[in-house]
This record gives sequence, structure tokens and C-alpha cells, in this order.
Amino acid sequence: MVRPPNLFLKFFRWYCDPRMHSYIEGDLWEAYRRAHAKYGKRKADVKFAIDVLLLFRPGIIRSRSKYNRLNSSDMFKNYFTTGWRNLLRAKLHSSLNIIGLTFGIVCFLLISLFVFDELTFDQQHANADRIYRVIGNRTLTGETTVIAAAGYKLSEESVNAIPEVEASTRMMRQGRANLVDPQNPVPFQETVTVADDQLLQMFDFTFVEGDRRTALKEPGSIIVDEALAMRIFGRTDVLNRTLVFSPMPQFNLKITAVLRKLPRNSSFSFNCIVSESTFHNDDDFKETMASDWASNSFSVYVLLRPQSNPDSVAAKMTRLVTSNMEREPGLRISYALQPLTDMHLKSEGIVDGARNANVDPIPQGNPLYVTIFSYVAIFVMLIAGINYTNLTTARASSRVKEIGVRKSIGAVRGNLVGQFLFESLLTTTISLVLAIVITSLILPPFNLFVNKQLSLFTVHHRYWLYVIAAIVTICLTSGSYSALLLSGLKPVALLKGLKLQSVGGLSVRKALVVFQFTISIVMIVGTIVLLLQVNYLNHTDLGFHKDLTVVIDVNTDLARSNFETVKNEISRLSSVKSVSVSSRVPGEWKSIRRVKVRNDGDNDEHGESFFICADRDFISSFELKLLDGRNFQDTHDSTAILLNETAAKMLNIKSVAGQTVDIWARHNNATFQPLDASFRPRVIGIVKDFHFQSLHEKIRPLILAYTNNPIQVMDYYSARISPIGIQTTLDQLKAIMVRNDPEDPFEYHFLDDQLALFYVEDERRQTLLSWTAVAAIFVACLGLFGLATYSIEQRIKEIGVRKVLGASVPGLVTLLSRDFLKLVLIAGAIAFPIGWWATDRWLQEYAYHVEVEWWVYVLAGGLAISIALLTIGSQAIKAARANPVTSLRSE
Amino acid sequence: MKKYQLGEFEELVILAIAILNNKAYSVSIKDEIESRLSRTVSFGALHASLKRLEEKGFLRSYTGESTEDRAGRPRQYFEITAMGKKAMLYTKDARDEMWKAIPKTVLQVNTLR
Repeated sequence: MVRPPNLFLKFFRWYCDPRMHSYIEGDLWEAYRRAHAKYGKRKADVKFAIDVLLLFRPGIIRSRSKYNRLNSSDMFKNYFTTGWRNLLRAKLHSSLNIIGLTFGIVCFLLISLFVFDELTFDQQHANADRIYRVIGNRTLTGETTVIAAAGYKLSEESVNAIPEVEASTRMMRQGRANLVDPQNPVPFQETVTVADDQLLQMFDFTFVEGDRRTALKEPGSIIVDEALAMRIFGRTDVLNRTLVFSPMPQFNLKITAVLRKLPRNSSFSFNCIVSESTFHNDDDFKETMASDWASNSFSVYVLLRPQSNPDSVAAKMTRLVTSNMEREPGLRISYALQPLTDMHLKSEGIVDGARNANVDPIPQGNPLYVTIFSYVAIFVMLIAGINYTNLTTARASSRVKEIGVRKSIGAVRGNLVGQFLFESLLTTTISLVLAIVITSLILPPFNLFVNKQLSLFTVHHRYWLYVIAAIVTICLTSGSYSALLLSGLKPVALLKGLKLQSVGGLSVRKALVVFQFTISIVMIVGTIVLLLQVNYLNHTDLGFHKDLTVVIDVNTDLARSNFETVKNEISRLSSVKSVSVSSRVPGEWKSIRRVKVRNDGDNDEHGESFFICADRDFISSFELKLLDGRNFQDTHDSTAILLNETAAKMLNIKSVAGQTVDIWARHNNATFQPLDASFRPRVIGIVKDFHFQSLHEKIRPLILAYTNNPIQVMDYYSARISPIGIQTTLDQLKAIMVRNDPEDPFEYHFLDDQLALFYVEDERRQTLLSWTAVAAIFVACLGLFGLATYSIEQRIKEIGVRKVLGASVPGLVTLLSRDFLKLVLIAGAIAFPIGWWATDRWLQEYAYHVEVEWWVYVLAGGLAISIALLTIGSQAIKAARANPVTSLRSE
Repeated sequence: MKKYQLGEFEELVILAIAILNNKAYSVSIKDEIESRLSRTVSFGALHASLKRLEEKGFLRSYTGESTEDRAGRPRQYFEITAMGKKAMLYTKDARDEMWKAIPKTVLQVNTLR
């Protein structure tokens, strides 16, 4: 048989107008045969190719529009009709499909909203892609600090000296101060931010009232957000009202603007800003700022011109600063620019500078969890997609006749593929609509739970673009396997036997089930481990007493100076068991002072320790254990310190023998600064290690010094109170505090509540993950249920015969469930190593964590198997108990 | 008379169909033109002008027998419609008219050279 080259023949068939196709192809064949006989194969092939290429001309090429109009709308209508009928006819099958997909999509929508929000932090400003934060790299005596802060002159001069810098703004979080409405003098402690007037030009904060161009220009201006205005004045139309600012009582600040509350996906969290010009006349300010090139006093943001290279701008900044600053021996300094949009997720290792120690740093997102949750979202969608594939191929046998008839009246493969894809699109659309409804119902509690303001309807349109793309992709891929498989069957075989022997690539289906269960089991393992870890975090012995302890803040110097009196008054209350005074408390939520310490006479520069001042009741009040030496006794102990075990080990002190240590530097403004006068205290005791920071941190060296030490003053009273009449006790405490300093607002925390806050994020993740795991295994079980149902349906005759011949019900149930159980077992075998590896890496995030023991895997595997068994078992038992007469009666 | 206009190649094709009389299908037309005029004709050009002639109404086609050497594809036979015949005659008349109008001397072959 002489055949022309296939490639060109195919090409011709592809482009030729179908109306002329058969005639011309006949010509081509005839000419080819003749040429073959006359000149041989090679020349005939070449001639054929030339013919085909010359036929590629208008008039012979099919015209797209004419050809397609012929079938599209009618055919789609038909696809829709048959698809709809199929959905209605096989109710079980379609509801399994739709429920599975809906579940998958709901999980996907919720988690992707969360992830999208994390990824789009700080993008609400129009120029977000051109705004950068200035990061300083400071190396002093071999130690490098990366800190998000820079000096006054850098921000002032870079606009003039560096052409790429279009604008620059700076702010500093000065710390807590009293803001008082003079007409209703109730003191409010607020975190006050100071910023220059460029801030409002560069960032697009939303204004309720006021003019963005002038709001921060004048000295004595303050802008507040709605929430703060409501708190102080009880109303938001407070433009031009006056506020008294307690650190500078000469100033009555005028409110020049009211801001809308900042959105949740903003790294900025201020609620009031005082104009920087307020301080410009201050002599101290003038003097220090005039030469301030290299300090850490300000958070500086710059707006670059379009198409500027941030690295070269940063290099120019480094040069600008190093050529102007006063030489400090041993200090090397360089700058980098961090895109504003990276601040939330990519700030690991960057110290948030330019803030007072009592101001919380900018909260950071955790990129690890963003990654984990993105994977989880995709996996849950995948499981749902696989369900669809499996159920559709399993049900193929009941659609054999339809496919056969369609094929024999002329449907080509493409039509059938189109039809099946259309059906999967139909199912997905129904599920998507359902999922959107369910998601919008779940969102309010979900928002409360993740502490965000997510919404399906106000989210950026890009989100929907991604989501629709992802869902359509998954729907098409899950539809395409069955579409390709079913459309490839031979019509004659289909119509003759009306049965599918090997339909379905059973092995592919099995592999997919194994895949689903592998993911589900890994998720179960992850959930159990995280549950254990969160439980561990909340219940492990911290080494100190935390229950029923009220921690009262001391904010003013007046309150600080007479703390002994206050303490005495508190201890006289009958409901107070004990009271102590300290600078920080165990389980502290604010930052703890750090110092450099070495053995007296040593030259070591590296020993670093935390530093807390405490009085003599501190140890008894928090039930710390004194291992060696003695507690503080009286004011003579101003040069005495206690160490924790870790600090003692660092300083090589085995037992207390009056050693003196040299505390030579303290941490201030993100760097260690040597003390003016050296502090050489005696070690008088060693306390047992306790978790004075959260369990995310390892126990570090800690020095406890007496209250009248030269480094750190007291900040808190900690009172252990009796559980009866807590509110009365609080009122009494308040009365004492107010009596001693009316300026100081009564501010208190319960220690155990504060400790629980450390692990809120962990609990949140754990809950989120366990719900997703439940959803995943539920969807996977839906699929398994569908598969089991169909496979049992196909074997109904076999079961009847077996029963007639004497098979027992348990025997039949085992027979029917064995195959599926095998799959779940294989999945377990694959999932365990993955689960082990993943949870092990995950737990490395925690300084103190549980060990994953074998029973976790047994539990996860056992759970998966028993859920699967329940799913299959119910169907198997139903089939095994059915009367064989019904299944064998008709053939 | 634009209605009856024929292109140069179209004229050749319609003449070949007339010569073949009832046996005209693409391969035989191609052979006819190629052998008489000793030039090659591509299927592309041929089918394009056959299609045009049919669209203009000068030709009519019908499906013929399918043979083994055409791999089972049918032949498409062509015959000339009345309008096609008119067009042929019109073209011929127009040519003759013009030939007649040529002065004798123009076509004299200069044998001296």
C-alpha cells in the first residue's frame, strides 16, 4: 500500500474546507500514486508536499466562522440538556459530586482569602510599589544589627541629594503619653506617633475630616482616628478641638484631621499622630537633629521615581551618610531599601526600630504558615477534583449506551470530550455558587476567629481572577481524564456488549484514592501533633505561679517614686495574698531589657543577659525556687543580684561565693551602649530556670537585680489576689493607685490571660488546620462511598450467586471491603514518613515542643481506616444482607 | 459585459473541460492542460479556479465514482452550464474581434534577420 507522507496529509485534513475535502484528497492520492509509480517514493513525497503547500490558499482553507456557527449554540444547548438530565437521573452520584466539590471550594475560598490578605498587606496605597522602608545595617564591634530605622538628616537630605528619591517621610513611635480632653479630664494612655507632613502625602490614609496637605504642617497639630475620637470625646466630629498632651503640657494640641480606622491589612497601627513641627522649636530637638545622620531615631520611608533601582539608591544613601556623619570608632553602617509590600512577610531578622520600649513592634506575618496554608488549600481542592474524576469514571458503565449512540450517529471524539467537559463545568458552577453562598455565611465567624476583615465581595478583583482560574483548571483537569477515557472507547464494542470490561483504568482510580487518603492522613497527623503542641504550650509547668495574679502598670515618675507606700497599702488589703514590685514579670509581653555581662576582670564582650529589677517579695510571690544562696533582704542589696541557672552556667558560677560580675553595657535604641559608670554587683543567689518569655523562646540568661539598681526602674506591681470578690479587689486596687497619682490611669492585666495571648496564633492555626483536615477526610470519604457503591452495584449478581452457594454475611462484607481497605493501608504507609518529616520540621519552629510518638501515627491511621470502614461497610452490609432472589431474578 | 469575463487561467480550465466532455475531473483537467500547453498546473491553483468558476455559475459539478487508487475518495466531475458556454463564446468573439483589428504589418515576421 502506497501512502503519502502522513504529516502533510494530516496538515491538509486540518486546514481543508470540509466541503471540498474528500474530492481534493482523492486527487492528491491519485496524483501521488501516479508519481510514485513513475518517479519512486522520494520524488512523489516531495511533489505531494508541494501540492499540499500550494493548496494552502484562500478558497480552500476552511473558514472558521461559517463552519462553527453550524453547531455551536445548538450543540451546547444539547450538552446542557443531557448534562442536566444526567444530574437529575443519578441523584446520589451528582449529590456526592456536588457536595464534595462544594466542600472543597468552601475550604479553598476561605483559606485563599486568608492567604491573599496576607500576601497583599500594605498594598492599599496608590504608590505602594514605589515606596520603600529604609533599613540600616549597623556593625559595631563585630556585631551586626539590622534595624528598620535611620537618622533625621538622612530622611531630610536624601530628597535633595539623590535624584531618584521623589519624597521621604519619617515617623517615630514615641511611646505612651496621656491625652486629655480639657473639658472632660479623664486621662487616656495612648501610644503617640510623631511624623512629618510628608507622611500623609506619601500614604493614602482615608480621611473622615481634615485636609491631607496641611494636617501635619503646623506645630501643635494632632490627627486622631475615629475610634480614638469616640473614646475620648464620644463623637467623631472633633475637628479643631483641643487635646492636652501630658509630656509637654505647654502644648494644647489641635485636632486637624480625623482618620478612618486603618484597615487590618496595614502594617501601620497608629491611632494618633502629632506633627513633628511641634518639636522643632525645642532646643534639645534642634541641637540633636542638626547633626543626626546615623541614629536609629526614625522610621524612614522614601518614594522613588518610577523605574529607579532601589539598590543603587540605597548605595547612594550609604555614601551620603558615611561622608557626613561624625566618626564613631568601630561603627560601620550601610543602608538597604525594603519594598513596603514586603514589610509584612519578609521582615524576619529586621529589628523594628524607632520606637519606645513600651510600644509593640509591627506585627509580622509568618511566611511559613502562608505557604503551608496555600498548599492545604490546593490539596483540599485536589481531593475534591479527584472525587469528581473517580465518581465519573466509575459511573461510566451506565452511560455506555449514550456514548455508543452518539458515536455512531457521527459524534467525533472532540464532541464527546467537549460534552463531558461541559458537564464537569456545569457541576463545578453549581458547586461554586453553593460554595459562595456558604462561604459568605461562614465568613463573619471566620473573620472573628482569624482576626481579619475578609470579604468575598469587597476583595480585590485580582483575587477572583486567581480563584476562578484555579477552580476552572481543577475542574477541567478532573473532567478531562474521564472525558478522554470515555470518548476513546470503540462504538461497536460499546453497542454490542453494552458493558465495559476494563472501563475505567481501575489502577488509575486506585492510585487517585491512595493519593486522597495520603493527603488526608498527613493532615490528620499534622492536626494531632499541633493539638498536642498547643496543649503543651498552655499546660506545661512554666516554673512560676501565674494564676490570679493582677499585674498593675506604673506609668508616671510620681507613682514610681513612692512605690514602697503604694506597695504597703496594697499588701494591707485582706484579699491580697502577696504583692511584689518589678520592672518586668515572668511571661512578659513587653520587651525585656538586655545587658552585656562578664565576670569581673574578664574582657569577654559577648555574654548577654536579660535584666529585670525586683524586690524581696518577687521570689515568694511568683513561687520561684531559690537553688543556692539567699534572697534580697533590704536596701543594702542595691549591688546584689540573683542569677537564673542559665546565666550562672554562662558565667561559670557553680555555687554562690560572693562573686562579682561586671555589667558593662545595656541595650538601648536597638544597640548596646556601654554604661557611663560601671555596675559591678555581687551574686547572692541562683534561682531555678523558669520561662520568663513565651515557650517559643529558649530560656536565656536572666539577672534579677534589686529595685534600686542603676540600670532599670520598676514598672509593675504584681498582686496575688484571692478568688473571691475579684471585682471588689480591683476597685480597691484602683482606689489606691488613683490616690497616689491621679494623673496615672489604672491599667492592669491578669497574668494568665496575657500568657494565653502568646499562643493565640498557635491555637488559631491548629483550629484552622483541624477543620480543613475534617473537610479533607470528609470529601475523600464521599469519594470512597461513591466508589464502593458502584463497585458493589456491579458485583450484585456475583454476590447473589455467592450467597446462594452459601457464603456468609461477614464473609461477603470482608470480601467487599478488602480491596478498599488495602488502598487506605497503602495510603497510610506513604503518609507516615511524609507526616513524620513535615511535623518534625514544623516543631523545629518551637523552642520547646512535644516529641511525636508512635501512637500518633497509629491513631491517625486508625482514624482513617475506621472512617473508611464505616463508609464502605454500610454499603457492603446492605449488599450482603440483600435477598439474592432480587438480584438473580432477572437477566 | 463583465458578467461573462474569464481570467486567463480560467479560460484554459473551461476549455479543457469542454475538450474532455463529460470526463472532466480535476486530475484529467490538469493532465489536459499540462500535455497541451506543456506547463505545470498545481492542484491549488486548479481547485481555486474551479471553485471560482462554479461560484460564478459557469460550471456545475456532480459527485462521481470512487476508485481504489483514490483511496476511496469520489471524483468530482464538472460540466459547463449554459452561462459558461455563453462566457466562452463571448471571450472567443472578443478575442477574434481584436485579432481582426490588428494591422497586417504588425504581425509580419521579419525574415531578413
